[in-house]
Amino acid sequence: MQTVEAFSSEFWTAFAPETVLLLGLAALFIIPNLGNAKLRIPLTQVKIPWFFGGRRFRLTGAAHLPGLIAVGTLFSAFFLATWSQFDDTFTATVVVAGDIQLLKIDAFSRLFEIIFLGAVFLASMASLDRVPATIFEETDEMEEMYDNRRQADLYLLMLTTALGMSLVALAQDMFVLFIGLELASFATYVLVAFHKESKAGAEGGVKYFIVGSVASAVGLYGLSLLYLWAGSLQLDVLAATWSTNGSEVLPIVALGFILVGFGFKVSAAPFHFAAPDAYSGANSPVAGLLATASKGMGIVGLIRVLIVIATPDVGAGSAIWLIALAVLAVVTMTWGNIAALGSTNPKRMLAYSSVAHAGYMLAALAAVGAWVNGDIEGPEDYGAAVIGAVLFHLTVLVAFKLGAFLVLGLLEMEGGASRLSSLAGLGRRDPLLATSMFIFMMALAGVPPLAGFMSKFLIIAGLVKVGVGEMWAAGGPVSFADIHWVWWLALAMFVNSALSVFYYLRIGVIMFLEPPEEGRRKPLPYGISIRMTIWVCVVATILLGVSGDFLIQLCYSAAETLF
Amino acid sequence: MSSTILEYAILIPLLPMMAFPVILFLGKMFNGTPGWVGKMKEGGFIALPVMGASLILSIWLIIDSLHGTSGTTLFTWFESSWWDPATGAITTKVFNVGIHIDHLTIMLLFVASFLCFLINVFSIGYMNTDPLNDNRNHRFYAEFILFCSGMLGMVLADSFLWLFIFWELMGLCSYLLIGFYYERPSAAYAAKKAFLTTRVGDVFLIIGLVMLWNLFNGHLEYAYVFNANNIAAVDAGSLQLALGMMFIGAVGKSAQFPLHVWLPDAMEGPTPVSALIHAATMVNAGLYLVARMFPFFAATPVGSMSTLAIIIAFIGGITAVMAALIAFVQMDIKKVLAYSTMSQLAYIFTGLGAAMWLANNGHMEAATIALGAALFHLFNHAMAKGMLFMASGSVIHEMHHAHHEAHHHDHGDEDDDFDAQSMENMGGLASRMPITATAMFFGSMSIIGIPFIGGFWSKEGIIAKTWEVAFLEPAFFIPALFVLCGAGMTGFYMSRMWLMTFAGKPKTEVAANVQEQTAWIPIPLVALTFMTLTAFIWAGLEVTGWLGNYDGGHFIGFFEGIWLELKHIFLNHDISLLLLTYVAIGLSMVLGPLYAMKLYGGRLDDGQVAKPWMNWLINLSGRINEKSEFDNSAWANSSLTKSLHKRLHFDDVYDAAVLKIVVGFANLAALFDTKIIDGAIKGIESTSQDASTKVRSLTTGSARDYIMMAALGTLLIFGLLWGVA
Repeated sequence: MQTVEAFSSEFWTAFAPETVLLLGLAALFIIPNLGNAKLRIPLTQVKIPWFFGGRRFRLTGAAHLPGLIAVGTLFSAFFLATWSQFDDTFTATVVVAGDIQLLKIDAFSRLFEIIFLGAVFLASMASLDRVPATIFEETDEMEEMYDNRRQADLYLLMLTTALGMSLVALAQDMFVLFIGLELASFATYVLVAFHKESKAGAEGGVKYFIVGSVASAVGLYGLSLLYLWAGSLQLDVLAATWSTNGSEVLPIVALGFILVGFGFKVSAAPFHFAAPDAYSGANSPVAGLLATASKGMGIVGLIRVLIVIATPDVGAGSAIWLIALAVLAVVTMTWGNIAALGSTNPKRMLAYSSVAHAGYMLAALAAVGAWVNGDIEGPEDYGAAVIGAVLFHLTVLVAFKLGAFLVLGLLEMEGGASRLSSLAGLGRRDPLLATSMFIFMMALAGVPPLAGFMSKFLIIAGLVKVGVGEMWAAGGPVSFADIHWVWWLALAMFVNSALSVFYYLRIGVIMFLEPPEEGRRKPLPYGISIRMTIWVCVVATILLGVSGDFLIQLCYSAAETLF
Repeated sequence: MSSTILEYAILIPLLPMMAFPVILFLGKMFNGTPGWVGKMKEGGFIALPVMGASLILSIWLIIDSLHGTSGTTLFTWFESSWWDPATGAITTKVFNVGIHIDHLTIMLLFVASFLCFLINVFSIGYMNTDPLNDNRNHRFYAEFILFCSGMLGMVLADSFLWLFIFWELMGLCSYLLIGFYYERPSAAYAAKKAFLTTRVGDVFLIIGLVMLWNLFNGHLEYAYVFNANNIAAVDAGSLQLALGMMFIGAVGKSAQFPLHVWLPDAMEGPTPVSALIHAATMVNAGLYLVARMFPFFAATPVGSMSTLAIIIAFIGGITAVMAALIAFVQMDIKKVLAYSTMSQLAYIFTGLGAAMWLANNGHMEAATIALGAALFHLFNHAMAKGMLFMASGSVIHEMHHAHHEAHHHDHGDEDDDFDAQSMENMGGLASRMPITATAMFFGSMSIIGIPFIGGFWSKEGIIAKTWEVAFLEPAFFIPALFVLCGAGMTGFYMSRMWLMTFAGKPKTEVAANVQEQTAWIPIPLVALTFMTLTAFIWAGLEVTGWLGNYDGGHFIGFFEGIWLELKHIFLNHDISLLLLTYVAIGLSMVLGPLYAMKLYGGRLDDGQVAKPWMNWLINLSGRINEKSEFDNSAWANSSLTKSLHKRLHFDDVYDAAVLKIVVGFANLAALFDTKIIDGAIKGIESTSQDASTKVRSLTTGSARDYIMMAALGTLLIFGLLWGVA
């Protein structure tokens, strides 16, 4: 492990992806604004070229330029992060300011960086064809949407989201984490409402903002209580204090508030209400981003708070949050699936499905807590295995959940995807697209051999292993009374998965068996970059399911750094 | 060593398999275009070089393996590891892809690749000139070539697992090919029947394989299961049961009693398919499977597996007589051949049963000869029957053509009920179709077992060895008697078929105008006539001894070999066997044909002369027929004949059983499905839809309510935290 001072020269190289993001942000600020403006020296008639403003040059005014800059930036950042993951000489790096640890790069945070940057990269790439989100009645409005300024705004927000997310992944101080979270959140609030001309977009964005602000405020209140109690928000300080004074009232109250804050981010029930509105109002790549990377942020926060700080491995009182989290998990997954069953808007359906997926991950975290708590003994490190499964799930989720949203995005380019019947007849109109959508649905439902099966399988297998624990080696449990309650989480997840197959398969039925709607008989718009992104997602969904071994190993080794 | 060809050997099944999608997709794309129909023969010219390449590779492999190459493992298919709950150990099981080569493989590989190639040649003549097949021949060639791939793969497989996989591939393709004219209800029915009947056998086969897998600690590779030490470690009783299950699979595939009902109906497919399924490939698969089991019988304790050997011989004996009887009354030329196939395969099964009994009871030398004779009969039968089917196809094709010419050119389709396959419409074709008649002449002689031609060399061996066993084991008397009677019956029905088709006066106008004119068709006929006539070369090369011993064998010199064979047949030192030989020859060569001539013989039309090697026979048959006052009306009106026309009521009984038991059970299951399962599902569905509506009604759309709910959630969390604390 090496230690660097903030803003020293090593700092920039160690944080190459973030550096690239900052440079990209600067470029996005400057380049689209370059024009023939001249600056008159005061009191004279001398004008010197100033280039900032005025009539834009043809190149810098090109509508696609901001998108290309952003995609290039995100790809470089993603590539650098991935590269260092496969670099053998990679060592963990901690950034300090004085004796305060700010950021840390290790296998765990690097993996999350990759997930976040990858998701934002894919969403940005898909957005190249995706602004406008909906074709309005008049075509000149569409022209307006393609306007260069608007494009620059969108991608600025995308890059800001990426930067905030990276910060969350790297943070070693709860306050830094909170700043990153808010940076990303504010950007996503605007992204959701970006489509201000449509009622649904503006309304969804505002609701998302209001409820999100409340949740952030509550979470921040919890953090301030923690600070009051421990005198620091450093992760290691908090963890050390927790292990000695964890059963005091103050930290437990703080933990409750923080759970609310992050619960909103992962859209756990009953904090998820704004999510369906936001997803259906936002344009699809952004909704996909919310359902994958944004949720990942919440999970990072929860892992930091629950597993790293409030480690339940000492004393009986420290295991206080296990039951609360388990109840939350079961409520969330059941609520999400049941609500999704009847949804007639595919985006809301996917939103509820992502609520259900949040429930699965919360259940996994509860299981890790139970394992760390020491109630269970097993031959291997089940805790790391379950965390690894969650990481794997988050990674592959980017492929198939984002992919599903992108398919809807392509339909939006044609005139909306707000009804299930918008998908009708897709199997005939565009068989390849329908097949990819079907693959995404199957992956979400957890059908082998797709990536969604592996991720769900790993989580359930982890839960069962924790649940059955040491009885495994002794020939299995004898009666239900012997089994740890974690096992019931696995059962709940299993039943919920079965329930969810209904609405995932219904998409297939609608696509392949029903005739297309009136007025939807033309070929779909071409959209090269969004289609390419969909292909990437399809290939990843299949490949990571069939031969995801290397990724699973990566996730396991990332999880092991936590313990 | 010669490892190079072994590495390429996998191409033998792989090339046709890769050609399958190519033909199918190209056919879909270019269907009906002049280039595809004219230049590519709708895929025939893609299939032909591929099959040619397979044939060349096979021959190369065979020549190489005669110099001592045996099988090899090519690469690992996949590895599977599992956690054993009993011991806690994690074991790894490796599934390999490899080829196994011994004398049995070599023989069958040659038969399969050679016949597949010739049938492909024949198909180009037969299929592409029939307007009925226009614009869908690509489907035929694609399925055909996949079928060939299945057979070649099955022969080369180095484990029972791969054998089973290719076996099922063939089953699928036979379903598709028999149902090629799927718009005809009879063809669709026949395809379904073939598939379902063989499926009954296949279920038992997989049960047998699972049992075998279990007995041999998770191994199905030949290298492991045929190892004498490994066999010795296995309980012979369980092994016999497993092999018995697998034998039922072979019974289904080779259309033996009681799973024989699909084969005659399978004639609904195009004639090349009949040739393919009944001569070259599918029916031989069952024989191959049983022949593969031989080492088990040799390595198990004396007498421990006799029961299975007796069962095999019994099934063979019963089928031999039963099929021959039904063949007596068939009028459809292809159906006669179908029943003849059944009967001849039954001979081979009987021979295998005898070989296995001998091997299991310590008579290794005799067992070797019995096994060799059975397999040599497989070879001879495949060659002769492939030829006979193609010749019958030639007859049907030209009859069809002549009918089409005669009945004006305006209405081309099958809107009249002229049956081009019925022998009642033929007659006197010997002079009009000389090549076909010659081919069928020698093919029939080979099947009958006329001395020195084709099947004679092997059939005598089977009969002699079965009787030899019968003297040791009384239970064998019945199959032995059956195969002996069957020899005479074969003589009758094969002669009947030939005489009805080629001798006498034309029975219809159409038959009088038949001409042999389609290109491509004669090529395989000539090639196979040659193969049939040269069977004595193989006999001289001591092929029975060579085939009987999968890995060893010796060669004693050609003339010496042939002398030994002849001495064995005609001057046997054992007086009872000697007598038997003459009885068998007398039955098959004299009695059977004589009766056939009495009933069906006749001279050709005036002015029509057949080729010299057939003309004397036709004239002889005419003379016998004229002189005979034989009246067979008593026999023709007997109840046995009536039930023979009904195929001994097997189909009726099966249909009734299926209707009563299977349909009844299916109705019960359907009732359970609709009432209980569907009811439960619908209940769950409507309940959860209601729940969904309720849950979603909480999403009011107002941010104030959302915050309210979040506040309630916060209270819930604190309640839970407080409750635990």
